[in-house]
Amino acid sequence: MTPGRDQLADLLSSIGRPALRYADVRYTRTLQQHVKVRNGEIDHLASTVDRAAGVRVLVGDGWGFAATADTSEESLRATALRALEVAAASNIASTAKVTLSDVEPHTAAWKSSFEIDPWSVPLNRKIDHLLAATEPMRGDPRIHQVSGEISCYRQEKIFASTAGSYLEQTTTQMGGGIDAVAISNGDFQRRTYPNPFGGDYQAEGWEFIERLDLPGKGLQIRDEALALLDAPKAPAGRFDLIIGSAQLALQVHESCGHPTELDRAMGLEISLAGGSFLQPEMLGRFRYGSDLVNIVADATVPGAIGSFGFDDDGVPAQRFHLVENGMFVGYLTGRDTAAVIGRRSNGTVRAESAARIPIIRMTNINLEPGATPLDEIVRDTRRGVLVETNKSWSIDDVRLNFQFGCEVAWEIENGRIGRLLKNPVYTGTTPDFWRSCDAVGDSASWRVWGLPNCGKGDPMQTMRVAHGAPAARFRNVEMA
Amino acid sequence: MKERAEAEDVLQRALQAARADEADAVFIRTDRNISRFANSNVHQNMSEVTAELALRVVVDGAMGIATTTVLDDDEIERTADLAREAARHARPLPGYRGLYHDPGSVADLDTFDEETAAIAPAAKATDVRRMFDRGRTAAIDFAGSYTTSAMSVACANSHGVTRFCRTSFADATVIALAGSTSGYATRCGRTTKNVDITALGEEASEKALMLRERDVAFEPGRYDVIVEPAAVAEILDWMNMIAFSGQSFEDGSSFFVGNVGSKMFPQSLTIADDAIDPNFLPFPFDLEGFPKRRIPLIESGVIRTPVVDKAWSDRLGIAPTGNAWHLGSPDHGSAFHLSIAPGDQTREELIASTERGIWVTRFNYVNGLLEPKSALMTGTTRDGTFLIRDGHVAARLPNLRWTQSIVEAFANLDGLSRERRAIGTWYNPFGGSISPALRIRGWNFTAGS
Repeated sequence: MTPGRDQLADLLSSIGRPALRYADVRYTRTLQQHVKVRNGEIDHLASTVDRAAGVRVLVGDGWGFAATADTSEESLRATALRALEVAAASNIASTAKVTLSDVEPHTAAWKSSFEIDPWSVPLNRKIDHLLAATEPMRGDPRIHQVSGEISCYRQEKIFASTAGSYLEQTTTQMGGGIDAVAISNGDFQRRTYPNPFGGDYQAEGWEFIERLDLPGKGLQIRDEALALLDAPKAPAGRFDLIIGSAQLALQVHESCGHPTELDRAMGLEISLAGGSFLQPEMLGRFRYGSDLVNIVADATVPGAIGSFGFDDDGVPAQRFHLVENGMFVGYLTGRDTAAVIGRRSNGTVRAESAARIPIIRMTNINLEPGATPLDEIVRDTRRGVLVETNKSWSIDDVRLNFQFGCEVAWEIENGRIGRLLKNPVYTGTTPDFWRSCDAVGDSASWRVWGLPNCGKGDPMQTMRVAHGAPAARFRNVEMA
Repeated sequence: MKERAEAEDVLQRALQAARADEADAVFIRTDRNISRFANSNVHQNMSEVTAELALRVVVDGAMGIATTTVLDDDEIERTADLAREAARHARPLPGYRGLYHDPGSVADLDTFDEETAAIAPAAKATDVRRMFDRGRTAAIDFAGSYTTSAMSVACANSHGVTRFCRTSFADATVIALAGSTSGYATRCGRTTKNVDITALGEEASEKALMLRERDVAFEPGRYDVIVEPAAVAEILDWMNMIAFSGQSFEDGSSFFVGNVGSKMFPQSLTIADDAIDPNFLPFPFDLEGFPKRRIPLIESGVIRTPVVDKAWSDRLGIAPTGNAWHLGSPDHGSAFHLSIAPGDQTREELIASTERGIWVTRFNYVNGLLEPKSALMTGTTRDGTFLIRDGHVAARLPNLRWTQSIVEAFANLDGLSRERRAIGTWYNPFGGSISPALRIRGWNFTAGS
């Protein structure tokens, strides 16, 4: 049962305590459907419905949060009482003042848009689509596995707060992709389209899956997986590195998105996810990258899965720079952290569902396109390597030292793309790397990639974020 | 017992609604309290009560799965409709011989501690505050979390298999920060008696304060390494996915493929899936109702078996291991109670017998997808990395990046500690890993972080 607006207002007014500074209540109903085919079989076919309500209170300087799957009126009242009990406990071990940045009250409804409702497409059509993409990829004995998957996601969310806001939001998203695994002589090579780990995700409907044209790409990735078996290993040493859009999107995620989360910079996530090398005193003073590097957080990009109307503090979605002309200028903030740097929340606090507390999360963190076509970047590269599509990722606890492995690489010699190379791995240190960026691809190579599996928090919350990125070149990067 | 009656009612209604050739259902109710702290301040404090029903139906040998957190009759009917629709569109799984009929009896295990399940948020906050106050006298700040939970897990199938278990769980993680240096300690268990947060604070503080002034430059290369259980846990998490799971065996990416029965590692290496060890995190059955046993995966250096669910047991002709932790999971078997057998030395003896090595408290952001066949992984160290010279802890090192084949590392294992420690993991509410400290020759450190 979906709680009504009056019910939530009554609940908030019932929480009243002399020391209560703030309270909000959230309700979410999350629908998901996942279809996966593998080697001609239906490997996974599942639907989930998750309903949750959560009450968050700030009493004195102690936060309390309680959540329940039972959204009856009686359960919500009991949940609010638990939140107060937890806040009272927090005050025993609270040693810091909580300052909330201002927020205006809002009453609004927001929905992402789609042309074809994901749930209106019959299951057999989704299965047939995946089989049409993957079955032609089979046959070669070295192709050990082909698979494809399609995911549907919808979350309906209601938010009400003692700041006077009442917000209803619904996001609908789809994702899909295919992969081929080739094995020979102990070598294992995987090639995916358009991205690994379930493919690409957008806040769209079935039209996005059709646009991906999975059936039209299957043979290409099969052939690339087979070719990788015979390809030489990507060389070790220092090279000019051209990174394709999909891989650069993950580079942005790990080396800019996470370190610009203000809660990480303040040490609030250090026990699990880690901290950040970007400290508040560096704002506006620290050269993060070359002049060509402009990175924005933009929760308003139509069709991107990191977009929304309001965050889970009730702050409107915004667009702002994190890195401007190479300088570190902004953090992702929430109401309880922004005041530390003397700013107002820029609206990036979200929770996986109402069963979890909202924390700072990436929205759509985008490297803005530059002015150079990709083929011109290649022509201008004497000796380099072009890498694309992530295979592995690792970065240290303050987001400085990273190592990425990619599915595929190509040699570049005298401005021309040459041999296919396998197992490329590059490594570096975040500011050195971004300062070495001397060419940023134009809008033709720029696209937004959806990542539905960004992990953070304890308990772990999986958040749906996105990254726009073009291809770009980085000079003198170490490859392992 | 109220929890058992509720679970049986939900499962019965689900199986009645299934109306299929076969069906099984899992119901999990969790009451979890988590206190997070940083800068010696509790900044997040949470209480969650969640309940989820998963229903799987089998129609003509094909499976469909649906889950819901809404437990009224209408929603359970809708959930069954969704599962049936999925099964109708799915295809029969080759070799699948159906759900368990009589998988045997489960071990009688002590899994629940009332005191742990009922501990009040204020009591935990008081313990945490005491740790903060002690740290302040040494100019140490703490970050971490203290979790307690109670969980009811029930499963049943249409052949009459029914299981119920109530567990309690306590888990604490502490980072001590002494200016630019840090230390780390963590423990988990079925009761809060396993988790003395003040003692963890002291253990982490000791490491944070150790050799603070003796930071040395680092030369990349191969070093003998002593990895503590928290670091081993990070490796085991990935091994579970890329080497031990039924899926990795079936798709050929696991190094187990072609090596079952082969002695690949030293006699001293035994890794088991052991959910019945009373000193670990005991749990009596998997979510298909199969009784948990101790299953050696690597025994005295010999590769024995991957872990599988029922479908992959049938498909691969592997004896059931009881490792279904999600109905119909694409992993087709996960080892959620990984246990490395202890050795006969203390950690201090391992250090004392190391000429040139590195002592690692914890790994960070390990990734095991580089080259799965050799379990090539990369990651960094954090919260206490030390240089060992001539059997002595000689200096504190910066965090280091490493890239290392774990197949090679296991082959180079040459020491294990007597003491083991249970480590929780975020994605696994049923277990974790328990491990001694390991000494491994020639670990490949590639850079200072």
